[in-house]
Amino acid sequence: MTRSKETEKFLVFEGVSKKFRDLLALDDVSFEIGQGEIFGYIGPNGAGKTTTIKIMVGLLSEFEGILRIGGYSMPERRHHVHKMLGYLPQHVAFQEWRTVNHALRTFAWLSGLERRKIEPGIEKILEQLALSDVRHKKIVQLSGGTIQKVGLAQALLHNPKLLVLDEPLAGLDPASRYQVKQIIKELGQKGTTIFFSSHILSDVQDVATKIGILNWGKIMQIGTLDELKSHFPSKNDIEIRLSHNSGRWKGLKSLTGVMSVEEMSLNRLLVHLSGQADINETVHHLIQELIRLDCHIRSINPVSPNLDEVYLQYLSGGKSI
Amino acid sequence: MNFLLLFKDELRGFYKSKVMIFLWLGLPLMTIVLHLWSPDTGEDIPFTALSAIVVSSLGGTLAAVMLTVSIINEKTRHVYDLFLIRPLKRWHLIISKFLAVYTCIGIASFLALILGLVIDYLSMGVPPQTVLSDTIQSLASSLSLMAISSSAGLLIGVATSSILVGVILVIYGANQISAIATLLPNMLEISNPIGFTIILGSMISCFFLVVAIFLFTRKEF
Repeated sequence: MTRSKETEKFLVFEGVSKKFRDLLALDDVSFEIGQGEIFGYIGPNGAGKTTTIKIMVGLLSEFEGILRIGGYSMPERRHHVHKMLGYLPQHVAFQEWRTVNHALRTFAWLSGLERRKIEPGIEKILEQLALSDVRHKKIVQLSGGTIQKVGLAQALLHNPKLLVLDEPLAGLDPASRYQVKQIIKELGQKGTTIFFSSHILSDVQDVATKIGILNWGKIMQIGTLDELKSHFPSKNDIEIRLSHNSGRWKGLKSLTGVMSVEEMSLNRLLVHLSGQADINETVHHLIQELIRLDCHIRSINPVSPNLDEVYLQYLSGGKSI
Repeated sequence: MNFLLLFKDELRGFYKSKVMIFLWLGLPLMTIVLHLWSPDTGEDIPFTALSAIVVSSLGGTLAAVMLTVSIINEKTRHVYDLFLIRPLKRWHLIISKFLAVYTCIGIASFLALILGLVIDYLSMGVPPQTVLSDTIQSLASSLSLMAISSSAGLLIGVATSSILVGVILVIYGANQISAIATLLPNMLEISNPIGFTIILGSMISCFFLVVAIFLFTRKEF
């Protein structure tokens, strides 16, 4: 048995391509994920996110390229990989006659969880996901969001080394989303490698330690959020929040380097700087001028692009790597 | 161990399904009607063979439809995804399902034919050896034919993705194959028709199951 020693690169995708008849769903996709990393995978509909995930978990086994997980190559060593895998599909579904408890017990058993650990494990995970009340209910009687959480429970129950989640936060209410994000973060801190796709970019920004952007089956960019941002020039905008709006801020327009000042809301201003303006120098002058104008400053911050803006910039004209 | 767990799970899912409840009651009822009616089947087809055809036809068709619909439904809803990413053999999934349905209809057929035996006993006193022998032969023949229908239902479920197409194929395909297997020994004037039916049924069922396993293990989900 050949098992690579490069387990620090827990998951390796190397030149993976996948065709469905004439459609090239994945085109030479390569990335690596280290143990304990939380990898957020984003891209528009039809970009190939689910195809990537299905290859990763062994549901699609015919592809070109190399895929190694925990040192085992896929799909040849699928059986070994499946022992350390937890997976939540995009549309999780269970057999209609199963209760939550029955489904979890079966999946825990099939995942190889020790018999004596199954019942306490179910109890713990249901409590963690606030599902204890539905333990003995039939799954068909549950709402979509609750079924999604049961899906997450079956993925976590056997403490997998690799957790693959396809849109785990879709369909959850804000409280559940927060709860699930906390669980993902905690698992990452404990050393679980997590790969998850999402359309909700703010969630990816909150949780992921590394982000991959996929479009038309190609990886556009991979890196931490700061690394992704660094590929684009930062905006020359400064956001000022005042404790009350006296209107005297209009005097800022005359400062050197200031192109215009926009009143975004009652106490919130956006200062647009000219291309040549030194941001540090201008912030210093802005503070001095606001104090001179007797404007009470609550906060002043350079505006940096969020993941949504970075993502859109990559999709609109970015080159793939 | 995994196989046993899956089998028990599937059994639990099927035995109280609406179709199975119909079979639990329908097959014994069918036997009562047949025994009361006692049709003259002529010399070519003995009564046991007719009884086997009727019971296996009804039970086999319903079992095959149930398997086909269940597999297509679970495939299209991606129910199998959560099983296939776990360390188990793929063929365990479909064979456990086949065996669960087959066990259920086997028990239902057994109950139906035992009921027939009881009726004979009540109407004729101690059942003559021939009636007992006919009943056992009838049960063996029914099980063999239902194995053909069920395995064909499994294969059709694995190979097709539309419930409508699957059901049409089961009704017009699987059921006819099992009927031919019953009639063939009489047409060929085989000296041991029941033995021939059992062997033929086992061979056809095994062939269908092997093809279904081959397709399912190669399938991309």
